[in-house]
Parts: sequence; structure tokens; C-alpha cells
Amino acid sequence: MIKTMNLHKSFGDLEVLKGIDIDINPGEVVVLVGVSGSGKSTLLRCLNFLEKAQEGDILIDGRKVDRKKEDLSKVRAEVGMVFQHFNLFPHKTVLENIMEAPLIVKKEDKEKAKKLSLALLGKVGLSDKADVYPNKLSGGQKQRVAIARALAMEPKALLFDEPTSALDPELVGEVLQVMQDLANDGMTMVVVTHEMKFAKEVADRIIMLDEGRIIEDADPETFFNHSTNERTRQFLEMVNV
Amino acid sequence: MPDILLTLSEVFMRTYEGFLKAALVTLKITAIAIVLGTVFGIVFALMKISRSKILQTIANLYITLIRGTPLIVQIMFLYYGITSIVVLSNFWAGAIALGVHNGAYIAEVFRGAIQGVDRGQREASLALGMNRSQAMRRIIFPQALRRAIPPLGNQFIITLKDSSLVYVIGVTELFGLANREAASSFLPFETFLVVGMYYLVLVLIFTGLLKLYENKLNVDKS
Repeated sequence: MIKTMNLHKSFGDLEVLKGIDIDINPGEVVVLVGVSGSGKSTLLRCLNFLEKAQEGDILIDGRKVDRKKEDLSKVRAEVGMVFQHFNLFPHKTVLENIMEAPLIVKKEDKEKAKKLSLALLGKVGLSDKADVYPNKLSGGQKQRVAIARALAMEPKALLFDEPTSALDPELVGEVLQVMQDLANDGMTMVVVTHEMKFAKEVADRIIMLDEGRIIEDADPETFFNHSTNERTRQFLEMVNV
Repeated sequence: MPDILLTLSEVFMRTYEGFLKAALVTLKITAIAIVLGTVFGIVFALMKISRSKILQTIANLYITLIRGTPLIVQIMFLYYGITSIVVLSNFWAGAIALGVHNGAYIAEVFRGAIQGVDRGQREASLALGMNRSQAMRRIIFPQALRRAIPPLGNQFIITLKDSSLVYVIGVTELFGLANREAASSFLPFETFLVVGMYYLVLVLIFTGLLKLYENKLNVDKS
């Protein structure tokens, strides 16, 4: 579904990704973990070309992505993203936020886009918020709207960049619940998170990054209980699992 | 009643018909300059933040030249420059000069407003599959416009007052008329006091309208 080959990314002199090969299968939930600065967010952002890797290739559905502009928009329309700080459009209502991309990018007709958006809003449990502006929502509600907005493009995969890190602790659960439902529906997901409980319970695979390299790629049981990697064990001790 | 008030009211009564007509000319010139300046401003702001070095250079040159020279020089330059090529009334020459002048300042207002919109807005737009121009038109610019309203209003008020300078190319707007009245009546103090009040009233009306518009935007948002 999403495959990277020898991905390298530097910011100036700082090499953040030092040759990343991953292969994410359809329907898989992959959690990226690692200490801050390990490159996990950068890797995620490379997958939909918000950051452009200097070297290496990305294949979506087996097709190599050419980095021309049109192609990138197309890739991004197929691979949705949910951000740490939600990034909802403040000048549009919740419903308009969700309808925007289907209307503008897919040129869908208004009625159809509205119907789809309302259905998605129901799915994230916010049907009653269709006509309010984002600044009237709690953080958890904002993130659920952001997920609905990403789903409105009917993406093949969703990327989550620390989706609960900006939330008050009591609001984390509602967002993770929505993500878990998505996983159960078979959505392909790549998630950068510090929520180890989520990783343990929902992930099919956990990939550990350290200083720009993958040092472990394992199922949760192996990762949490039987890892032989020194750095992984240090990391797990640090996050208390 | 003291003498000064008597003279003032006498001057006011004698000139108000002329001044009302002149005020209309002032408003027309200002309106044209604002529209023109806003169009120039948006275009040059977009050029300045574009990825093309050539467009950036053109925009920088324009802004530097306009901000680096006095408006009155620009008016004279444009008037004699343009009218040597095409036939143009002094009214239009003045309005265009004022518009071109304003464009440079408005470009800076829009550039700041666009760059002030959170980066995440652009990223979210691109991540949904929008191209750069869709993201600008649908998401970034509308938010920038909101931020630009207060400084833009300020610039519009400056334009209204700066329009007085087109008197140098013979346009009979408020200040031009006041100049003539002052000379012919031998009452410069009273005449300029009266014309000052016309400007003040216009500015206050402008300010009020802008406040209303700002409030409306704020109500919409929340």
C-alpha cells in the first residue's frame, strides 16, 4: 500500500532520516515510536510529501510517485493526514470544513458532499455540531472533526501525527476511540503517538525509530515483551510500560 | 457672537455648495484609488511571496520606488508621464497615481497578513489534495483578509487625506477648491478651517463604516 525505499531526508546539515525502508500493507495499523528527534514525524510527513525526501522513492499501491505537482496533489488526496494541532479551518463551520475537499478537490456536487459529510460527522459522534465554528469545540471534538475531514476524501490510508498530544488528558480517550473504530473498519493507518496503550491494543506492527534509522519492526507482543534491542528496552523503560 | 464665528459661518454658507461638489470629487478619487490600490496590493503581495525570483524582484522594485519617493512627486511624474503618451484627464491621472502609490503600502499589508496565517492551515489544505492556488484562494486568503482589515482601514483613511495632493495637477477636489477660495476671499484661516472639517467628517464616516464591517466579521466568526 505504502512503501518507501532508502528514504533520506536532511534539514540543512542535519540528517533526520538515514535510509528508511518500510512496507505498509492494506488494512494494517502501524505505530511509529521513538524518542523526540528520532525522525518519526518527519518520516510520516514524507509519506504525503509535506516534506520532500532528498533521496529514495515512495510507492503508493505499487506505483512510484513522480514528484511533479499534480501527482503530489493526487497522492495527498489518497493519503489523508490528521495533525497534532488539528488545523481546522477557523473561517468555516464544522460541516464546511468536512465538505471543502470533496467540493474543491473532487468537484463533487454539493448535495452529495453534504450527505457524505453529515454521515462522517455522525460517525465521529458530532452530528449536533454541524453548523458551529471550530472555536466553539473542545480539543477532542476538534480532532474528531479533523478525522472526519480527512475521511471525506475517502482516502486509502490515513496518517496521524501525534493526534492526542495537544489534548487535555480527559479528552484523549474519545479521539483514540474513533481511531480504534477506524482500525476495526479496516482503514490503513500510520500513527505517530506516545499512547503506548493504543499501540499495544490497536497496532498490528510497531516500528521504532532511533536517530533516523529503523531499529525495530515487530508486532506489539514482541515489541513490548520480548525485544532484544537495547535501545528499545531503554525506550520502554522511559515511557513506563 | 464673536467675530470669528460670524466669519466662519459666513464662509461656510457661501462655500458649502462648491465644497459638497468638491467633496464628491474627493470621494470619487479616493474610491478609485482604493480599488486600484487593493488590486495592485494583492497582485504585488502574491508576487512577493511567490517562488519566482523574477516576480519577487519586480514586486520589491515597485515597493521600494513607491515608498522611497514622495507622493506629490509621483503624482507629477505620472501626470506628465502618462499625458505625454495618452490623453487622460487630470482627474484620472490623479486617481491612478494615488492608486499606484497605495498599492505598494497595501501590498505590504497583505503580505504580512498572508504570512501571518498559521502554517498548519496551508499544510492541512495541501494534505487534503488541494493545489497551492486552491489553498491560497479558499483557505489562506480569506483568513488573511480578516487580519488585513484593520491596517487596510487605516491605509484607506490615509488615502482619503492624501487625495488632497492631486490639487497640484489642477483637480478641483476639496483642497484644490479651498486653495482658490482662500485666495479669492482673502480669508485663508477660515477657509482652511472649514475644509479641514469636511475632511474630518469624511474620515469619521469612514472610520464608522470600517468599525461596522469589522464587527460584522467578528460576529460571523464566533
